[in-house]
Amino acid sequence: MAQINLQQGGKCVVGQFRAMASPCEVLLERQDMALCRTLTELAATEAERIEQKYSRYRPDSLLSQLNANAGQWQSIDAETAALLTFANTCYSLSDGMFDISSGILRRAWQFDGSDNIATQPQIDALLPNVGWHKVQFNQRAILMPHGMELDFGGIAKEYAVDKVLQLLVQQFPAAQAPSIVVNFGGDMSCNRPRQDGSLWQIGIENPSLADQAISAVGLSQGALATSGDSRRFVLKDGVRYSHILNPKTGWPVIDAPRSVTVAAPNCLLAGMLATTALLQGAGAERFLTAQGLQYWLIT
Amino acid sequence: MQLKHIANISTALAAASCSLLGQSAEAGTVLDDWQFNSAILLYSEQDRVSAGEGILTARGDFGDDKYLNLGLVVDALTGASATGAVAQPGVQTFTRPSGRGSYDVAAGDTPLDDTFHDTRVQLDVSWEQPLAQDWRMSVGGHLSKEYDYLSLGVNGSLAYDFNQKNTTASVGLSLSHDSIEPEGGIAVGFAPMLLRSNFANDEAYQSAFDATRDRADDTKDTIDLLFGLTQVINHDWLMQFNYSLSMADGYMTDPFKLVSVVDDNGLVQQNLYENRPDKRTKHSLYWQNKVHLSGTFLDASYRYMWDDWELKSHTADVKWRLPMGEQWYVEPQFRYYQQSAAEFYVPFLKQDEALPQYASADYRIGKMTAYTLGAKFGTRLAEGNELSFRIALYQQKPENDGVTAPGVLADLQLYEKVTAVMAQVSYSF
Repeated sequence: MAQINLQQGGKCVVGQFRAMASPCEVLLERQDMALCRTLTELAATEAERIEQKYSRYRPDSLLSQLNANAGQWQSIDAETAALLTFANTCYSLSDGMFDISSGILRRAWQFDGSDNIATQPQIDALLPNVGWHKVQFNQRAILMPHGMELDFGGIAKEYAVDKVLQLLVQQFPAAQAPSIVVNFGGDMSCNRPRQDGSLWQIGIENPSLADQAISAVGLSQGALATSGDSRRFVLKDGVRYSHILNPKTGWPVIDAPRSVTVAAPNCLLAGMLATTALLQGAGAERFLTAQGLQYWLIT
Repeated sequence: MQLKHIANISTALAAASCSLLGQSAEAGTVLDDWQFNSAILLYSEQDRVSAGEGILTARGDFGDDKYLNLGLVVDALTGASATGAVAQPGVQTFTRPSGRGSYDVAAGDTPLDDTFHDTRVQLDVSWEQPLAQDWRMSVGGHLSKEYDYLSLGVNGSLAYDFNQKNTTASVGLSLSHDSIEPEGGIAVGFAPMLLRSNFANDEAYQSAFDATRDRADDTKDTIDLLFGLTQVINHDWLMQFNYSLSMADGYMTDPFKLVSVVDDNGLVQQNLYENRPDKRTKHSLYWQNKVHLSGTFLDASYRYMWDDWELKSHTADVKWRLPMGEQWYVEPQFRYYQQSAAEFYVPFLKQDEALPQYASADYRIGKMTAYTLGAKFGTRLAEGNELSFRIALYQQKPENDGVTAPGVLADLQLYEKVTAVMAQVSYSF
C-alpha cells in the first residue's frame, strides 16, 4: 500500500498518499488522528484498486488486457460495464467529442511545450482506430475493433474520488459521518458541510503561476474538478495547441481555456463537464454558462 | 468545433454519474460563499409585554479565512410593564410618562403602564480575518435605534491559538455610546408624579410638570472588556472561560419607573420617579462546556456576575441535543437564574424616613429567581440547510428581601410573578 503521511491542520486533520500519478489527500473535520489514519488507509487501498484496474500505464491492468485483446468479445464485470455505460452517455451527450477511444491519437502528439506538431499522414493513420460508435458492448461483454484502445483518462480519477468518499462515509452510522474531503490532485469531493459551519477552503491552481493557487473557494458540500494543464501544449507559429484532442479531426482543440474548474454534486459530473467544456475550444464559456453550475475558467 | 446547440447536458450527465456511483439522488448545493440565518421570535408575557422579533444574519466567506458578518434585528414591543409603584386597596390614577393623559389601575392590581410600545432596529457588522500565523482579529460596529433611544458602538477582538491550536486566548474591547430622549423629557431624580386633577387648569399643570423635568435627553457610555480562554480537552470536549468587565457611565435610571411613598398604614402618599447611580461596574465570570457524548451534544454553562450596585447573579444553563431519527434532533434546555437585589432597590419608600440617595422599585433589579424551560426541534434539510422550532417557558419570580410591608400592603401582592412563553422559528440557508 502507498505510504501514508498524516498532518494536523488548524481546523482539520489530513492524511496524504500518492496514487494515480497525483498527490492524494483525505481531509477530516474532526481532530482525530487515529480515525484519519484509518480512513486514509481505506482511501489509499481503494484508489490503488481502481488504479490497478483501469490504468492505461500498467500492462497488467484490466484495461490493458481489454486493449490487448481488441478484436474479440471479452467478458467484463459489473463495475467496468457501469463505467462504459457512463462513457457511452458522455459520448452521446457531447456529440462525440468526449470519446474514450481517442487516447491513441497521443501517439502522434507529444505535448512537451515544443513546436513539434503532428503531420496529417500521422494523424490519418490513427483516425480509423478512433470512434466509440464502433465499439459494441453490453452489461457482460465488449467487442472493440482490432487496433482500438480505450482510455479512462477523464473518468477514472474522478470516479475514484467519488467511490473513495462513498466508502469513507459508509464507515459511519447513517447521517453521522463528519465532514470529509477527498482530494486527488485537485479533483475533490466533500460529503457534507462542516459541523462548525465554516467552509473548506479549496485553492484553484492557476496554470500560468505554476503551483500558486489563484483563489480559494469555499466548498461546503459536493465536488470540484479541473481539466486543463498549462504544461502540456505545443506552440507552433504563435498557435498554442492544447493537449485536448478533437477525436473527429485528430487535431488539438484551439483557443481552449488553459484550465476549467467546475463545481457539481459529484466529481464525475464536475470532471466530465470541465473536460467537455475544454473540448468546445473558444465556446467553453458559453457551454459552461448553459450548464447552470458554478465554474472558474483560466484563459 | 462546437456543439451545434449549446445544450444543458448537466442534468443528463448528473443522472448518468449517479447511476454509475449507485446513488439515487445527490444533494445539490455545492459552493456557498454566503450563509444566512433567519429567525422569527414571538415573546409573550401573561397580561404584560408582547414582542415580535425578526432576525437575519449573513456570513460571507471571502476565502483565506476572511469573513464578513452582517446582522439585522427588527423587533416590536407592545403591552404593559410594571411601573414599580405598589398595588393599593383602591383604584389608583397615574399620569403617563409623557405627562399627557392618565390611566387607572384597579384595586389590588400591580400598577402596569400599558402605553409601552416600541420598535427597534439593530444593525451589526463585523469583519474577521487572520492577522498572522495563529492570530485572528475582528472589528465591528453596531447601531440600534428605537423611538427614544439610540445606541452606537464599535468593537474589536484579537485571538491567539497555541498549544497546537488546542488553546485559544482572546481579548475583546467594545465601546458604546447610548442616548435617550424620552417623550416628555427626563424627570429630575425623585421628582413627584403629578396628577392633572390636582391642578386648576392645563397651564398650571403643564408649568408644574415642566418643573419636574430638567433636560430633554441624556447619554451613557459603556466600555466592555473581555478576556477569554478556549481549551480543547479532547476531540469530544471543548471548554471555555471568560472574564468580562463592563464599565458604564451616564444615565442609567429608567425614565418610566416610579417608587411609591407609603405611610404607616401602607397607603400611597405620592409616587416619585426613580433615581439610580450614574456609574456601574460589572464583572462576570463565564464557564462553558461543549461535550460530544455518543452522538449527542451537551452544552452546559455557568455565569457569575457581580457589580458595584451590589447585584450578584448566578446563571446555569444546560442544553442537550439528542438525535431523533436520522433527520431530526431535539434539544431540551433548562436555565436557572438567581439574583440578589441592588443595594438601592426598595419595594416602596416610607413617608417617615429620609429619602435615600438612590432608589428604584424596578423588580428587575430586585431579588429574584427565574427559570427557562424549553425545547428546540431541528432538522437538516437538503443542501445543508437547517430548520428549527423552539418553544420555551420563562418565569421570573421576584422575592421579598426581608422588607416588612406596613398596613394594607401586608395583604397585597407586591412581588408578582411574570410568566412568558417564547416561540421561535429559525431557518439557516
